[in-house]
Amino acid sequence: MNALDTRSTNSVPGSGLKVESLRFAYNGTPVLLDINLAIAEGEFVCLLGPSGCGKTTLLRLLAGLETLSSGNLSWKGQTITGPSLERGVVFQDYSLFPWMSLANNITLALAKSHPETDKKWRLNLAEEFLEMVGLATAARKHPFELSGGMQQRVAIARTLALGSPVLLMDEPFGALDPVNRARLQDLVLDVWSNASPRKTVVFVTHDIEESLYLADRVVMLGSSPGRIIQELRVPFARPRLRRTLTSLPEFQALQEQIAERFRQDTLQRIEAESFVNGDAEGI
Amino acid sequence: MKAIMAESRITSSANVPTATRLQVKQTAKPSGVRRNFWLRLQGKEGALFLLGIVLLWQFVSTSIHFAGSYLFPSPVVTLKALWVSLPELLKGTWSSLIVLVPGYMLAVVTGIVWGLLVGTIPWVSRMFSPFARFASPVPPTIYIPYAIALLPTFRTAAGFVVFVGAFWPVFLNTAAGAVSLPQRYRDNARILGLKRTEYLWRIVFPASLPHIFSGMSVGLVFSFIMLTVAELFGASAGLGRFVQLYADYADYPRMVAGILYTGAVVLVTMELLEQIKRRALFWVK
Repeated sequence: MNALDTRSTNSVPGSGLKVESLRFAYNGTPVLLDINLAIAEGEFVCLLGPSGCGKTTLLRLLAGLETLSSGNLSWKGQTITGPSLERGVVFQDYSLFPWMSLANNITLALAKSHPETDKKWRLNLAEEFLEMVGLATAARKHPFELSGGMQQRVAIARTLALGSPVLLMDEPFGALDPVNRARLQDLVLDVWSNASPRKTVVFVTHDIEESLYLADRVVMLGSSPGRIIQELRVPFARPRLRRTLTSLPEFQALQEQIAERFRQDTLQRIEAESFVNGDAEGI
Repeated sequence: MKAIMAESRITSSANVPTATRLQVKQTAKPSGVRRNFWLRLQGKEGALFLLGIVLLWQFVSTSIHFAGSYLFPSPVVTLKALWVSLPELLKGTWSSLIVLVPGYMLAVVTGIVWGLLVGTIPWVSRMFSPFARFASPVPPTIYIPYAIALLPTFRTAAGFVVFVGAFWPVFLNTAAGAVSLPQRYRDNARILGLKRTEYLWRIVFPASLPHIFSGMSVGLVFSFIMLTVAELFGASAGLGRFVQLYADYADYPRMVAGILYTGAVVLVTMELLEQIKRRALFWVK
C-alpha cells in the first residue's frame, strides 16, 4: 500500500469546511474538476501544487470571492455563498490599503468584528494586534514605509483582527526572502497554536518544504484541470523544530515522494495529451 | 597591512564630495574648461530660455519700425503698464475668482461623486454612458452665448460654463479611476465586509485619487479658458474683460500686461493644486 494514500474521512456532519464534488470553469474551460475535501475545525491544511493548478482558485472559492459552477461548499454545514467575516484571507500581494496608516488598516477590520465599540478603543486594540506581530511602534506608519515581510505581518494582524475562525492564506510568503519567510511561518504557527479554539487554516503554497513544516495535512493538486491527486497526513509531532525537522531522513524521503508524485502526474498528462493528438492525426 | 592602507585610501577618496571629484575629472580632460562651463549651466536652462525670450522681445520691439509697431510694446513699457494697472488687475482677479472658484468646486464635487457611482455601479454606468459619450466631447465654449442669453445674470452664466468646462474632465477621470480599481482592493474590501458607502468613500475614492487629480488639473485649465472667454463676451469686470477693454481702446501695453498677469494667476493656481495633490498622494510611489 502506498504510504501517501491516507485519504481523510473526517466527516462529522455540519462541522468544518466541506467541499463536495466541486467543479469550477472559467469561460467554459474547466479549472477545477470534482474536488472533494473535508477540513476539520482547528486543522492546518496546505494546498500544494504547481503554478496554474487552480489552488488559488480553490482558495478564492472557499473565501466566497468566486462562484462555483457546480457542487457544494460549506462551513459548519452552511453553504458558502459569498465572503464572510468567518473566513479571513491573507493574499500574496500585501493587500493593505496604502493610503491608510497601519492602525487604520486594522481598525477597518475591527469596526466590522466589534461594531459596537468606539474609535479610541479600536485604536488601542489595533495597537495590540500590531504588537502581536512585532510591529508595536509602527502604528502611525503607512504601508509604503515597510518592507514586504512587515506588510505581510500587518496583513496577518488585520485578518486576526477580523476574528475569523477560518484563515485562508494564498501563498502569503511567496514574495519574501528566505529569512522573512521562515520568521513569518513561525508567526503563523504561533498564532494558530495559541488561539483557543484553534483556527482552521487553509494555506496555499507551491513549496513542498513549507507545506511539510506547517501542515497537519497536505492536499496535492495536479493541473489541467485542477484536481486532487493525493492527500497526505504529515506525521511529524508538534512543536516542530525547523532545523531538526528538515534534517530528518523521514522528512527528506517524504519530500522526495511528493516531488515524485507530481512528476508522475505531469508525465501522465503529457502522455494523455500526445495520445489524443496522435489519434486525431490518424483520423 | 597593505589591505588596511588600501581600504583607508578608498574611504578617504570616498569622503571627497562628489561634485569636486567630478570637476577634477572634468578639468583633467583637454576640453575641460568648456565642459565645466556647460556643467555649471545645468538646471538653469529654463531661466536662460526665458531670459532669451525677453531679450529677443526687447530687441524686436525696439529695433523694428513697421506699420503696426505700436501693437508690440517693449518689455519695459509692458512692465510699466502692469505696474500702473495692478490695482485694476487685482480687482479683476477677485471678480474672476469669485465666479471661477464656486463653479470649479461644484464641478469637482459632482464630478467625483458621479464619477465614483458611474465607475462602480453597472446600471448607473449603462444609464449615463450613452449621454456622456454624446455630451462630453462638445467644446464647452459653444455653450457660452446661450448660457448668457438663458441665465439671469452674467455671473450665473459664467459660473455655469465654468462648471461645464471642469465637470467633464473631473467626471471622466474619476470614472476611469474607479473602473480601473485594482482587483486586490476590491477583494480586500469584500473580505472585510465593507458596505457600499464605506467602500466608495474609504476605498474607491482614495484609490482613484491619482486619476481624480489629473482630471482636476485639466478641469482647472478648462475653467480658466471658459471664464476668460465668457468675460470677453459680456462681463463688467474680470481678467478677460480687462484684456478685451484695452484691446478696444488700443492700449496694447496694458493688454499685453493683462495677458501676462492672467498667465501668472493660472500658474499660481495650478501650483496650489499641485501642492494639494502632493500632500494627498503621499502614498503613491
